[in-house]
Amino acid sequence: MLLTIAAAAMALAGANPLDGFAALLRGALGGTHQIGETLVATTSLLFPSLAVAFAFRAGLFNIGAEGQLVIGGLCAGLVGAALTVPGWIAIPLILFAGAFGGGAWGGIAGALRARFGGNEVIATLMLNIIAALLANYLVVGPLHAAGATGAETAGLPESSWLPILLPDTRLSIALLFGLALAGLLAFVFRRTVFGYALRAAGDAPEAAKRAGIDLPRTALLAMTLSGAIAGFGGATIVAGVLHRFNVALSPGYGFIAIAVALVGDLDPLWIVLAAFAFGILQSGSLTMQAFAHVPKDVVTFVEGLAILALATRRFVAPRGAAA
Amino acid sequence: MDELRGFLALTLIKATPLIFAALAGVVCERAGILNIALEGGLTAAAFTAVAVSFGTGSPLLGLAAGVLAGMALCALLGVAATRFHVDQIVAGTGLNLLAAGGTAFGLVVVFGQPGASPEVRALGTPGECVLIVAAFACAFLLQAVLDRTPWGLRLRACGENPQAVRSAGVDPRGMRVAATVVGGALAGLGGVFLSLGELDIYSDGMTAGRGFIALAAVIFGRWTPLGAAAAALAFGALSALQFVLQRAGVPSELMQALPYLAALAALTGIAGRARAPAADGVPMEG
Repeated sequence: MLLTIAAAAMALAGANPLDGFAALLRGALGGTHQIGETLVATTSLLFPSLAVAFAFRAGLFNIGAEGQLVIGGLCAGLVGAALTVPGWIAIPLILFAGAFGGGAWGGIAGALRARFGGNEVIATLMLNIIAALLANYLVVGPLHAAGATGAETAGLPESSWLPILLPDTRLSIALLFGLALAGLLAFVFRRTVFGYALRAAGDAPEAAKRAGIDLPRTALLAMTLSGAIAGFGGATIVAGVLHRFNVALSPGYGFIAIAVALVGDLDPLWIVLAAFAFGILQSGSLTMQAFAHVPKDVVTFVEGLAILALATRRFVAPRGAAA
Repeated sequence: MDELRGFLALTLIKATPLIFAALAGVVCERAGILNIALEGGLTAAAFTAVAVSFGTGSPLLGLAAGVLAGMALCALLGVAATRFHVDQIVAGTGLNLLAAGGTAFGLVVVFGQPGASPEVRALGTPGECVLIVAAFACAFLLQAVLDRTPWGLRLRACGENPQAVRSAGVDPRGMRVAATVVGGALAGLGGVFLSLGELDIYSDGMTAGRGFIALAAVIFGRWTPLGAAAAALAFGALSALQFVLQRAGVPSELMQALPYLAALAALTGIAGRARAPAADGVPMEG
């Protein structure tokens, strides 16, 4: 159904839908360079998607992955540009800075929830915009790189760049970190007491409370860790792709991540596949725009539809089965 | 003196879309729907109004179409949340993406150019003034409707205890959808004001987070129409002040961030014993 709507939208733009899809796939998978870019997009989506799913599992809506990604990237960019030590020391510090920044940003929402019962949806929405404004202020103002034309900080020394995974592409080893994290989260959810407590807090908060799970503390922890995952993702974009912080770091990865997390059914391993599928959309859309003359924004539109359609299916299906 | 008049006029212009959107937020939240798709509603309405004015040459038809677009988008949230048991936040996020992608795409389809539309026939100064007055009138009207009519009572009950409403023989799901339709119309007026009132074009991202500022205004206004409108007016004044203070060297980002920082502060309860409706954002069973 989504394909049909996408095809209709392409036809509306005066393009042949088949050409459109062909251009999309060619742009995403048509060569080493294209596959590299698709996997870069996959990696960039994977971290915030895992972040969203992590909070979701604990019954919390982290609509703020976008802001956490930006703050993580900002911290990583600042630390990275300041460090002149060898890469094997600098890279872990840069990634940690990103996770720390994102974690702190998510932690604000978690603390408001834990301490005051403040709605984390509102908090993360507000924090997204504050993050964007803060980054913009710092990068255009006091931290603007001398001589840079764009809104960006000074670059990272080449020794601090993440090693490239696929030669002649921009794909770095960040993808491996993402895959490892997905595996780790799957293990945590399924096999550890902490993962059980998180899921219990999300699925049955009343029962979890009676079982002695400290709900406010779980909320704070879940939001902080969720933010740290997104912030780590921001750091991998800085250290692996851009090699500096730029305010245009994310074309809405944090929001698309909600679609990815839902498509992946909140399961870390399925989310990897979902992120790949959305990575194809993301990286193919530019080629589609250039060669089939279909505006790339069709992809955003389809992603919005995907969220609605999948959320509908997810919540309706069990009811239909019961009836 | 002229400076002051200019500031007050700018405050009214900046506040009007926020008031409309904040009132939309109040109606929805009092009925139990946390409407984060207000941003999408503003976007859809602002775009549709310009597109229809472009096609027909009539800004009034544009206004009507814009309001309808806002209603349609928000009604989708209401229907998804009540009939299909989609989580409100998830649906709202989806609708925001839908509106952002759809309008960016629509710009290319309708006007043949990305980024911004050409200038179209707008409502002009008289229309702008009418909408400003209408925003304030709607605040008083909505306050009266919520406080003093049976419909308002039922709507508020849906936000506090939908089961009780059901026991009283009223379908709370229908009430919630109705609330999103009314809210969508209000958000639609706000969006139309942005594109055809204040300006005469639509450009990508022109709503600039106003739907989220409106949610902040709802909290500050303690979920009452007059309170939310007052908060929106204050945020409008902040926005107007930004142009004055920027000349004095205050970073504009700080001024822009103030409403959002204020909303975070409000979540800690320093604004008083503000309390959201008990069933705000809570899905209904069955």
